[in-house]
This record gives sequence, structure tokens and C-alpha cells, in this order.
Amino acid sequence: MWWRSASFILDKPDKDDAVSSPESRLITSPPLSMADTLQNPNPNNISAYYQTRAAHHGVVTSDWLAQAQAAAEKEEVTSESSLDSGKAFSVIDEFNNWRKQPDLAEAVAAIRALAKVISSSEATTMMELEIELKTASDSLKAWDTTSISLTAGCDLFMRYVTRTSALEYEDFNSAKSRLLERAEKFGEISYKARRIIAMLSQDFIVDGCTILVHGFSRVVLEVLKAAAESRKLFRVFCTEGRPDRTGLRLSNELAKLDVPVKLLLDSAVAYSMDEIDMVFVGADGVVESGGIINMMGTYQIALVAKSMNKPVYVAAESYKFARLYPLDQKDMVPALRPIDFGVPIPSKVEVETSARDYTPPQYLTLLFTDLGVLTPSVVSDELIQLYL
Amino acid sequence: MPDVQAQVNDFVVKLQKRKIEGSKATAKLTAELLRSVISQQRIPHGSNQAGVIIEAVRGVGEQLIRANPVELAVGNIVRRVLHIIREEDLSLTTATIGGLSVSAASDDEDELERGDHPALSAAAVAAASRSTLRPPSLQTLLEDVPHSAAVPHTYSSGGDSEGKSKSTDKNSRTRKLKHNIIETVNELIQDINTCHEQIAEQAVEHIHQNEVILTLGSSTTVIEFLCAAKEKKRSFRVFVAEGAPRYQGHILAKELVARGLQTTIITDSAVFAMISRVNMVIVGAHAVMANGSVIAPVGLNMVALAAQRHAVPFVVLAGIHKLCPLYPHNPEVLLNELKSPSELLDFGEFSDCMDFGTGSGSPLLHVVNPAFDYVPPKLVSLFITDTGGHNPSYMYRLIADYYSADDLVIQRRPSS
Repeated sequence: MWWRSASFILDKPDKDDAVSSPESRLITSPPLSMADTLQNPNPNNISAYYQTRAAHHGVVTSDWLAQAQAAAEKEEVTSESSLDSGKAFSVIDEFNNWRKQPDLAEAVAAIRALAKVISSSEATTMMELEIELKTASDSLKAWDTTSISLTAGCDLFMRYVTRTSALEYEDFNSAKSRLLERAEKFGEISYKARRIIAMLSQDFIVDGCTILVHGFSRVVLEVLKAAAESRKLFRVFCTEGRPDRTGLRLSNELAKLDVPVKLLLDSAVAYSMDEIDMVFVGADGVVESGGIINMMGTYQIALVAKSMNKPVYVAAESYKFARLYPLDQKDMVPALRPIDFGVPIPSKVEVETSARDYTPPQYLTLLFTDLGVLTPSVVSDELIQLYL
Repeated sequence: MPDVQAQVNDFVVKLQKRKIEGSKATAKLTAELLRSVISQQRIPHGSNQAGVIIEAVRGVGEQLIRANPVELAVGNIVRRVLHIIREEDLSLTTATIGGLSVSAASDDEDELERGDHPALSAAAVAAASRSTLRPPSLQTLLEDVPHSAAVPHTYSSGGDSEGKSKSTDKNSRTRKLKHNIIETVNELIQDINTCHEQIAEQAVEHIHQNEVILTLGSSTTVIEFLCAAKEKKRSFRVFVAEGAPRYQGHILAKELVARGLQTTIITDSAVFAMISRVNMVIVGAHAVMANGSVIAPVGLNMVALAAQRHAVPFVVLAGIHKLCPLYPHNPEVLLNELKSPSELLDFGEFSDCMDFGTGSGSPLLHVVNPAFDYVPPKLVSLFITDTGGHNPSYMYRLIADYYSADDLVIQRRPSS
């Protein structure tokens, strides 16, 4: 006879010293050791990835913004000291510059930063260059351990650098310039990838269909834009997307395109699922099993859609394929973000602040990627081919 | 090439009038037609011979697909042939580059390749052969064949020393390419002819003693499959659902009895009632799509649902020429055909109900007679093809083997 132990009573972290003000609280902050603070420049464990996304969405409360700024300043100081003193160039700085552009994907910003590392490197052998790149890539990954596409993008780039095809050239300079050229090309892929995905998914949007969208994905927006431009008649249901209010932002964009939009509460998805023909989501990462990691609420919607026989389509670029295999929802690096309930919460009440969930592959119908239309079982094949 | 054009037009008309029955016959005729197109295609000397052949086949293929878009076998064979052309071209290129000791050929290659791409180093060509014919993947994203930064060192030493007559060598390469392509297309036609035997060979692994098999309608593949098991001394019974409105199940039942199998005929509506007594459902398919779903004769979706409900394995037999690389986005509408209502109703009795001349111009009685059903991949337990038994989620691998990514859309680019 199995039963669940009430371990959450024992697991509750010691909150007494971490709480600043008892009457209002925006974030839970588990205590960190000194080592953690050095490693993770983000002491409040707020996922920097979701900070960026929220910043792009323009939904920020003032004291949260102050905390984010404090965290950003702190991490710049940390990262500079961790790099070699001789280098004036900081890959994190470069990365931050690129990242601030709202249209650029994070992984591509990382690739561009790494490309800058190559071009400003003073190494004279491939080995040295590789080591430099590895250090830069590791520091980028450490900057935000919660972002999957960042890790995947860095891994993909490092994988390319260590492949033998890059080393076929005996001449170091030509090899270096080839690496650089490739890295530049990779950077262009982001916008192109979205166009390709938009083209592939056009056939699946038919006249008179109703699409449910969750989260603010730039890829999905591109897909819907392309459909609107080709004068298809369809309507979109947006979930509100608490607490980032992604639905509000997305409905804004769609209204500009003259697409009929309806906003739903996150809890109204099952209620409206009857009228919906398909679900379209983006992905923060695509894992080896073929499942996806996406904004909190995606799993719920996929479950409802599956039980009512509605297809769930995912639009994701190929560099989001990550070498992860989560076995359950908690099997990932936790990514937390603050939730503003608008009213003060008593200090004894815990808040689930995780920003994302994992949707297993059996709830997904098809993935639209720049590699083509894939079924979830193809994803692991692709990953094996690459990392073999 | 006027006689080839006449043949093409003839075939197009036959397709439009739906004179050709069955995907196997269609596939065979398409392959033979494309073979004659290729053999009669005059190829100019110089580079890009494969490109010329590809363009010719594409042009003909586009006409054929447009004539009958629902018959997916046509498109499949066109894409197979295009893939064959690309493969042969590539293997010829790598073979001649690889054998640098064959000086005439390499000289010839040098001439040709310098025209098209910058001369490829052996390693780059190896990379190209690995990547060109694979579908786009994460690897190909990284491993692009270098266009501008290629290193032509290895060529200059080999090529310059020979200055023989180039024209005969080019001729031989042209002839060799065509010859290889036609040989492979012949193999393809042979495969189409013998697909039944190869599938039937696997019958004895799947049908066991004293089993009850259910099938619907009639399919040559299924007949061969069941009879092969019978030959191997398995004794089993077959339930045949008659397959309205064409009632081809009757023909199948007669055929099975002639070969000595115990058969029972049931109506389509009785499938749900009988399915719990059945060990396995074995059916043929019209086409298999890239996501592992099946376009099957009408009534099979119902059988598949019944089989799933009662946990009965649903096995689909399909030759490789039925495998289509497209993903179905609206199969009930786009991949279906509505056949004549006379198969359902006797026109003499119902002519007054179906009169278009009355009042509003639209009759009160509509007759819908779809030819095909869409069976989603989760209802299929196993595909048995001439290469063996596969999971529905595995079909994309076979597509990668038999088709090139460039050929998925066969639409002539508008010439400006």
C-alpha cells in the first residue's frame, strides 16, 4: 500500500531569516550558500530568461524591476572578475547587448556573442581557440542555468567547433575564418527559421478554424501573421497567461492584424475546448523524448486537448533541441519568477512560482521546425544523429 | 520527343477519367512512362546533366499529379524517380573523383565540376554526399558544403596533366548516367511488381494456428498474404466484411474459398459485434502518409476504432510505392474522392428526389459516396512493407531513405 508522505512539512525551507517584510512578499527566496552566490550571479533564483521575456512584454512592477537591475549589475561584476584579467572583452557583456533586442532569440544572441569571441581571440592554434570558446560558453551557460535554448544553442555551437570537419583545414587562419563565417550564418538563421516554420504551417490553418494560443511565442506570431497575410479566415483564442499577461500582449498584436481574437482566462480553456480546432504553442526547449518545455499552463492545455481529440501543434526552431530527458515535472532546473497577486499574501502561505512545465510527447501531434514537419518521435532521432 | 509527349497526354487522360484502378497499376504505369521520358530525353553535353533530366521528369510529373491529385501513388513514384536521379548523379560524381587514378575520368570530372561548383576537395565531397541527400537535419545546419571558401588544391595536379579528347569522355559519362538511372528505375518497377511476394513472405510470422482474421473489402496484397500463410500449413479462419457499396468483400471471399480457407462474410455494420471474436485485423491501404496514418478504403476507420476498443492488433499491409512523404492536413476533404451516387442508389427509383430542376434548384436528397477513409496513426499497430514490419512512428525514416527533401513540392516555378 503506497501513500504520499507529508514530506512537504519537513521540506519547507527555513523562511524566518529570508523574509524581509511579513505583510507583503513577492518572491520566495530559499537560503543560498556562499558558493551558490558566486556561481549563480542571480541570488534570488529568479530565472533571468523569464526576466528578459517579461521585459520584452513590458509587464514589470517597479520594485521587481529594481531587483532585476540589482541582479544584473551584480552579475556583470561577477562575470568580469571570473574572466581572464588580460581580456578586455566580456562575452557576457556582448551577450547582454544582443539579448536586449526583442526580436532576437536568446540562443542566437549567444551564438553571436561566441562568434565575437572567435573574432577577438588572440589564439594561434585550434586547441587554444577551442579552450577559449569552451570557457566563454560555460560562463554563458552559468549566467542563466534555467534557460534551455541558451544551453542548447551553446552546446550546438561547441559541437560544431569540435567536429572534425572544421579541423580539416591545415591552415589555422582559414579554419578560424570558416568558423567565423559559419557562426555569422548561424546568427541569420533565427529570422529565416521563423519564416520557414511559418511557411510549413500554412497548410494546417484552414478557413474557418479556431486556434488556441498559449504564451507569447514570436514563432507562433509569425505563423499567424503569415496566415493573416494570405487572407485566411480564422479566429484566435488567447489564454490570459498569468502572471506575465502574455495573452494581453498577443491579442494586441493580433488585433493589429485584424484577426478576430478572444481572450480566455487560463481556467476557461476546457470550457472553450469544444469550439477550438487546434492548439498552437511555441517552445522554450524541445527535449529528447519529443516533449516540450514551455510556459506554465502548456501541459494543462495539452491534456485537455488530448482528451477532447484536438491536435496540439508546436512551432520551434531546431536549435532549441536540447539533450534533456525530464522524467517528471520537477526533473528540470527550477526556473522561478515572481507572481504579483495584487493583494498582500500572508507570510505563511507558499506560492508556486515555477515559470514552466514539461509536456510529454504523447500529447503533441506535430512539431513545425525549420527542419520540416516532424512527429515527436523524430526528435530523438535528430538529436542522436547530431551528437553521435 | 513528340511520341513521348503523346504517351504522356494519353496517360494524363486516363488518370483524369479514373480509368486506372489501384495504386499498384498506377505506380507501375507511371514508372514505365517516366522511364521512357528519361531514355528519350536528349541531354546536352557539359555540366548539370542531372539537372536537365530532373527538370524533364518534374515537368511530366507535375502534369500527372495534377491529373489525379488523390492518387498519391503517382506523386510517390515521381518523387522516387527524382531521388534516384539525384542519387545516381551523386554516386557517379563521387566514384569518379574517388578514383583519381582513372585519369581520363578525373580530367573529365575536373572540366565538369569547375563549371558548376568550385572544385571540391575529396573531404568536402564526402561531406556533400553525406549531407546532400539527407533531409535537412541539425547536422546539415552546421555542415554546409563550402561555396566560397573551398580549397581547390587537390585538383590542379591531377587534372592538368591529361589533355586527351574530352568529348568522348563526356559522352561516356552522359551515357553512364542515363544507363544507371534507367537500370535503377527498372529495379523500381521490379520492386513494384514483386511487392506482394515480399510482403507475403512475412505472413507466417504474424498468422498463427487457429486464429481468426478480419478484413474488409478486397486487396490483392491481403489475398497473397493470407494464402502464403495457408501454404505454410497454418489453419485459420477469415471474417470478411463486405465493404459496401462496391461489395468487393464478396470477390475476396470467393477467392479465399477457392484457395481452401474457411471464410465468413459479414456486413460492415456487424464489425463491432464480431470484433471481440477476432484475433487480428489485416487490411491493405491506398496510401500511407508521413505521420504513419493511412488512407484506406471507406469503412476501415470504423474497423480501426473497433479494433482499438477491443485491443485487437490492426495490421496494415502496404508496398513501399504507397508511402507518401506528405503530412495530411485535411485528409477527409483533400485526399478523398466522391464517387458516383449510382453505386448507392438506383437512379430509376430516385430520379424524382434528385431532380435539380425543382424550385430552389437544389434537390432535397444528397448522396455522398466517399471512396477513402483517414485512419490516424494511433489506431495502427503495425505496418508490414516489403522491407519488414514497422511502427507507425517509424515511417518517417523510410521516407528519408526513399525521397529527397527537394522533391516534396512538385510545382513548376513560374517562369518569368
